[in-house]
Amino acid sequence: MRLTDFGMDTITLAGPLEAKLRAMRAAGFTQVMLSARDVVGHPDGEAAAISAVRTSGLRVTGFQVLRDFEGLTGHLHEYKVDVAKSMLRLAQALGAPVLLVCSSTSTHATDDIDAVVADLRKLAMLAVPLRIRVAYEALSWGRHTHQLAQAWSIVERARHANLGLCVDSFHALANEGAVDALDVIDTDRVFLVQLSDFLWQQIRSREERMETARHLRVFPGEGVHDDLVAELIRRLERRGYAGDYSFEVFNDDYAQMPLASVCDRAMRSVSWIASRVARRSLPVLRETRPGPRQARREVYPSP
Amino acid sequence: MPVTERHPTSSNRLGLDGLEFIEFTTSQPLILGALLEKMGFRPVARHRSREVMLYRQGSMNLVVNAHPGAVRTDGTGASGTALGAMAFRVADAGEAHRQAIELGAWDLPTRAAAMELVIPGIRGAGDSHVYFVDRHGDFSIYDVDFTPIAGADPNPPAVAAMHYFGLVQTAYPGRTAAWLEFYQSLFGFTPRPSGTFFGVMNRGVLLESPCRQFFLQLIEPPEGVEDVTWEEGLLRIGLGTPGVPAAVQALQARGIVFLDHEPNRPTDRGAVTQLYPGGVSFELVHSHLTH
Repeated sequence: MRLTDFGMDTITLAGPLEAKLRAMRAAGFTQVMLSARDVVGHPDGEAAAISAVRTSGLRVTGFQVLRDFEGLTGHLHEYKVDVAKSMLRLAQALGAPVLLVCSSTSTHATDDIDAVVADLRKLAMLAVPLRIRVAYEALSWGRHTHQLAQAWSIVERARHANLGLCVDSFHALANEGAVDALDVIDTDRVFLVQLSDFLWQQIRSREERMETARHLRVFPGEGVHDDLVAELIRRLERRGYAGDYSFEVFNDDYAQMPLASVCDRAMRSVSWIASRVARRSLPVLRETRPGPRQARREVYPSP
Repeated sequence: MPVTERHPTSSNRLGLDGLEFIEFTTSQPLILGALLEKMGFRPVARHRSREVMLYRQGSMNLVVNAHPGAVRTDGTGASGTALGAMAFRVADAGEAHRQAIELGAWDLPTRAAAMELVIPGIRGAGDSHVYFVDRHGDFSIYDVDFTPIAGADPNPPAVAAMHYFGLVQTAYPGRTAAWLEFYQSLFGFTPRPSGTFFGVMNRGVLLESPCRQFFLQLIEPPEGVEDVTWEEGLLRIGLGTPGVPAAVQALQARGIVFLDHEPNRPTDRGAVTQLYPGGVSFELVHSHLTH
């Protein structure tokens, strides 16, 4: 585990894309998780956003987020495939190696696991020629898939080299017991880990979960689930996870704070994680060499 | 070219039946054409509306596409030569295309002009395409879209009984598994047991077509070579022959130069030509396949 393994989601910061990228870089981060809104909402257009990212000096962790994709039929399915293609093209233009897809919340989505698997295989196949991997995340208020273990069973069943999991600590913690699910997950199939915590012990309802997830997350080390967050990362590392971590901290207060101070909080969170998790691989903060950790663990049949 | 009717089976659901043609895109069709003729190909027909020429020898159809817009550039404004497409012969091209799209392939924009065939295709590795072609009786795509060259033998014989053995595709590091999935799921290719190779370029993973008539070889950049420019795409054509030494001799007599240093020195198993302008090379492989 190195400093270069950590990055920030742009959604954690307020302001224009260029300012976010500069603040992350100034704080010492080397990678950024991009949101489609950063690109299509850029005042000078997509090309300017892509250029800003390409010249930022930051490696792109991934691109988010494709919503409500799986389990639809007919024209709804066709519509979502078109949306997915558009996102994949943007991800490719940005040099994003991963597209994040959240489990569906749609009331139109079927719970037929074979249909869900077929849809995610299709998405993963669309991503192959574009050099993008698809990471499926169990949204804790997903209609049918809301547990990490469920998402893993779907990914496992799909058996597609280009389809893996996104482990999001918020959603994992919001559903108690999810940390144990990591013991059965093949970490080679985890394409991304997103980190955050929150400030109360329990979330009692779906509505409260959504409200907390969208407005009230905090960085690991700032919340009340220190032991669980640390345990989640520790288990991932112990089981061989060698991919990226990104701070995805939706927080209305952070959206009103100077970017540099939010980035400093993120960097303090890296130190906190290092102190709780990565003692065996210190000195974590001295490493500055950029580059994806995936290069160390490519999986394919050897000749 | 002999065509036998094959019905789709469970392991060959598209009724794949060999490589119908391979396409080069180039901004230098004369230079490439001269090389192809040295390799034994003969120009047999011109496209009716585009700057496209059909070459043939034995069972092999090779399309040289120099139409503006089809030729990719290297980003510096200079143009080059690349393997632009491979066309799979299938039982029903429209159905094969529909199934591929349903499974997550990217469709290609239609480019046919009036009175021309629409050849359904999907996006492949890099800038390359995969086309689906079917045949009904003696009627072929070439009869519609191409005009025969006057006086040219429409079926020139193959040098040393050469036939298409397959293609080599490059993959970015760690991407072999994704491409395996692509060829297995969309077309029914199967990976050969680890370490099974033909010829002299023995690395990567070898995939066999469900019709067992040709192979695709997936290779990643060699380890330890940090500064090599490596992009995904179709890299090289493999030509099968029952006798590699005889084929090497016949092609050398036609002016083709083979690599003669280890580990690529010509053997009974195979041989590799030098790199020709545009980065084109050919590989000979001792072949058990018959055409």
